[in-house]
Order: sequence, then structure tokens, then C-alpha cells
Amino acid sequence: MEVIIPAIIQGLCYAAMAFGIYLTLRIFNIPDITTDGSYTLGGAVTAILISNDLPPAAVLPIVLVAGALAGIATGIIHTQLKLHPLLAGILVMTSLYSINLFIMGRPNIPLINEANIFNENMSYNMLLALVFSIVLLLLLCWLLKTDFGIAMRATGSNELMVKAMGINTNFMKVAGLAIANALTALSGYMMVQYQGFADINMGIGIVIAGLAAVILGESFAVFFKSTSILSSLITVLLGSVLFRLLLAFALLAGVPPQMLKLLTAILVLLAAGVFKFVFKPAQ
Amino acid sequence: MKNLQIFWIVSICFMTSCSNPSKTVPSIGFLDIAEDATLAKARTGFLDALAKNGFSEKDKTLKVYFSNAQGEIAVLNQACDYLISKNVKLIAANSTLSTIAAVQHTKEIPVCMMVAPRPDLAGLTDAQGNYPKNLFGVFETLAYIDSSVALIKRFFPNAINVGTIYNSSEPQSRDALEELQKAAAASGMKIIALPVTNSSETQLVTQSLIAKKPDVFFALPDNVIFASFETVVKACNEAQLPVFTSEAGLVGRGAIASYGADFYQWGFQAGVEAANYLKSNTALIPKPELVQVRQYVFNSKAAARFNLVAPNGFIVINTP
Repeated sequence: MEVIIPAIIQGLCYAAMAFGIYLTLRIFNIPDITTDGSYTLGGAVTAILISNDLPPAAVLPIVLVAGALAGIATGIIHTQLKLHPLLAGILVMTSLYSINLFIMGRPNIPLINEANIFNENMSYNMLLALVFSIVLLLLLCWLLKTDFGIAMRATGSNELMVKAMGINTNFMKVAGLAIANALTALSGYMMVQYQGFADINMGIGIVIAGLAAVILGESFAVFFKSTSILSSLITVLLGSVLFRLLLAFALLAGVPPQMLKLLTAILVLLAAGVFKFVFKPAQ
Repeated sequence: MKNLQIFWIVSICFMTSCSNPSKTVPSIGFLDIAEDATLAKARTGFLDALAKNGFSEKDKTLKVYFSNAQGEIAVLNQACDYLISKNVKLIAANSTLSTIAAVQHTKEIPVCMMVAPRPDLAGLTDAQGNYPKNLFGVFETLAYIDSSVALIKRFFPNAINVGTIYNSSEPQSRDALEELQKAAAASGMKIIALPVTNSSETQLVTQSLIAKKPDVFFALPDNVIFASFETVVKACNEAQLPVFTSEAGLVGRGAIASYGADFYQWGFQAGVEAANYLKSNTALIPKPELVQVRQYVFNSKAAARFNLVAPNGFIVINTP
């Protein structure tokens, strides 16, 4: 239980980032690498502000703005300078490494005896992370169903048609990237408080985990009859939790440490395979 | 029927996983942040010290759960949870980041630190200056830097510019650099420092540093240097630039001389403290202590290039 429950809590904390990746990857078809940087950015801003005695509630909006700015930077480089979104993301992610170091002033900030949204009580933490992610899910679901959200989704599926209807697709892309990276920064905000420290390298490889969560989640979309926005977002949330759980199982298996990543990959493969083939819906 | 079979299999699995065949054997967790040659030396030292004090996995007098985050902080959190779930007597935390993660994850299980700086330098003390109650083990301060600077002066009295590369993403590397700058200024030397964050950048950064024409090179012992020291030595040898450091292991890999902690000994000292804690069988957690063994080490092969001979009091080695 000491492994499973924290894994679920962490999965819920990473859900915001997974939503962000879902937004860029599935709605816009943009693989957004900015994530590695904006996750750490969220963590860096959180750590430096909380250790300067700002209450976590006041830190939250600042984190969202910081993440959104990172997304806007990627969006503008992509839409105005016409760079490939991958390169735009890589550029912003790379520069964020220095910016994050500058923000933190040092590579690592432990949060000892500072204000924290989490506490020692595991069930409270679980409930908090759950409420956070469900509120986020509903907000995002609502947003994607507004006129603005529909225009954003349309931009992803048929850019030319949307342009013909007089919608500024560049604006839509920048807005989407801003929202996605604000969500990613929010994950950083939560994880830094959960783990009790911020570190400059905490974002390395995190985009991979987010991508895995989104795609793993999609493999059990077979349980949902519809392909609505709500059910897609739920599968993303489940995917994020499942990915952390599989990693926990890999650890619990007690294999030699150097085999950990291989075992994680095999478990993810098995999970995806089981959902794809064993629970295949009747055609 | 089939369901019943499954039920039996599951319950048998459950029972066997719960029953602990060796209840009297103490178990400890070992938390590593990444695969790293130098951290491995500290780990070997730690386990050797335990074995010497009657706790070894081979003789079935100790159970060690190894956990390695493979360089990912997200995994580090879960690796830490895994060790806590095993109800280990103590968690041995190798490196600063492992120590920070461990003390943030548990307030009860004692954490034995090694290859980490003094708790206040790692930012682990509260406003009153108290370190976490469950923290013990062996730390290093920055005092060794002064002696390292003196070491350079001893071999190259006319050296003015000291080139160094430091890992801007590692707390102890930055702290060490600041200390190095102070110590160098005090003895009339200047530090030329270039930052590096990844071992893939070392080659390029070292070349740029050499282009700035320093008189000697001082290697700060951080993860990037450990991972790519051969690159540094090769570039410096080509430029006829003597390399000094503060970690004995790096002398074995081609630096001329060092003064500082030996990572094997560091781990060993932590292991002795951990063994004493396991033996005492009390709830009293020992205090963190300063690393004891600091050595002068000299590489006669690397030094021959500059016609230097080993002074008295140095451990002389002849590799690679």
C-alpha cells in the first residue's frame, strides 16, 4: 500500500500534464517538447515563491501564467517564424533550462517546513489530488465545448477549412500551446509540493511519461462506447495513473535496478496489449 | 471452478509473499539516483563496512533492497516509496538528491547519507538550523577546497589562472566553485569557470576553456566530471595542461594529484555508522558526521609529463 497509494497520487499529479499533452498531441497534432521545460518551470516558480513565504494558493495563478508564457513562446516561434513545432519546442525547452536555473538561483530547493498543499496524511493527499484532477478535467471538458474550444479543435482537424471560415488559426495554436503548458506547469506545482523539493533536472524525460499516459489511456477507450471529449479526457486521466502504477509494480517486482526501465516498458506493452486485444469490442 | 482455481493461486501467492522466512535478519534499503561509477564506489564501501561488522547478504545476515532511479526524479519518488514499503530498518541514500528525496518521504525511517554535503549546505535544515531528526550518515564540507588550492601552488608556484568546469545543475558543484573562487583569490589566483550540465557537452566546454589559456586545470568532483573525465584528461594532455582534483578516484583516471575524500572510504564510514546503528538495536538515531579520511594521492604516470615527483605523504599510484 505504501507504494500503490503514492503511485496513484503521483499519477493524479501528472494528470494535468497528460491533459496538456493530449491537447497538443491529439487536438493539434503537434508533438510539444516544451513540456520538459515548462514542468520544471512550474516547479521552479513554486519552490522559489513558497520558500519566500508566499502561500501556495497565491502561487498557483503565477505558475499557470509562467507555464502559459512558455507555451506562447513556442507558439509564436512555430506560427510566426514558421519553424517546425518540434524545433520550436526544443528551443524553448532548452532555453527554459537556463531560465529555471536563474529563477531558482541554485539547482535544487528543498521545501523543509514550508507551507504545502499536501500533508502527512495519505488519504487527504489522495483526495486532494483527485479533486484537483477532476476539477481540471471538468473545466477542460467545458472549455473544449465552448465556441472557442470547438474552433480550437477544428483548427487541429482541418486548418484550411477553419481559415476559410475566418478564424485566426495561428491564434488558436498559440492559445492551445499556452493552455497545454500552463497545465504542465500545474503538474510541476503539485509534484514539487508532493515530493518536497524542486530540482533542475526534474523535467528530464517527463514528456515521455506524458505521451505514454495519453497513448496508454487510449488503449482502454474500448470501455467507452462514445469518443466524446469527456470520455477521452477520462482515459487520459486513467492512463496517467496506470502508468505510475505499472512503474510501481516494476519496482515491487524487485528486479535488479538496471532492469527497471526494461520491465516498465514490458508492463506498459502488456497493459496496452491486454486492453487492445483481450477486451476487443464486438465488431 | 476456474474462478476457484484462480482464487487459490492468488491466495497462495499472497501468503508466500507475506510470510517472511528470515524474520531475524535486518533489512535495509539502498537508494541510488543514477548508475554512476563513483557512486558505485561509495556503495561498495558501504556494503563492505556492513559486511565487516557482521551484516552481509552473502552470509544471510542482512537483506538489502536496492533501488536505482535511473536518473529520473519521478522514478526516484517511487523508488523511495518502494523502500519505505519494505519496512527497512534504515535507508542508505547515495548522493545529495537521494538524501533529499529520502528525508522528504519519511520522517520515521533513519536515512544514512553519503556522497552528500553537510545538511545545511544541501538546504536540509529548517529556519532554526535543525536537520531532520532521522538523518545520519557521513557528509563533506567545503574545507577540502582550500587544501586543494594549496596543492596547485605546491606543484606550480607560478600558476595564476586556474581553469575549471562545473556542473551548474548540481548544488554541491556550485557551492564548491564559490569556495574555490574565494580560496583562489586568497592565494592570488584567478578562476576561469565554464558551466556544463551534461556529459555530452564536456568535450566542447573543455576545448573552449583550454582556448582561454589557463595555467592549470582543476576538476571539481561532480557527476558530469565523473561521467566524462577521460575526455577532460585527453584534451588537457594534448594542450599540456596539468589536471588537479579533489577526489582520489579521478587521480586513478589521469589527474596528477588530489586532496580530498575517497568515495570508497566515504561509503565505508557511512557503512560503519549504519552497522553500529543496526547493532545497537535502539531507536536512538546517530548524528551525521564529517567525512574522516581525506587523502593526498599522486599519479606518477600523469605527473611524469610535467617532470614532477611525488612529495612525501602522498599515496602514489600509476594508472591508467
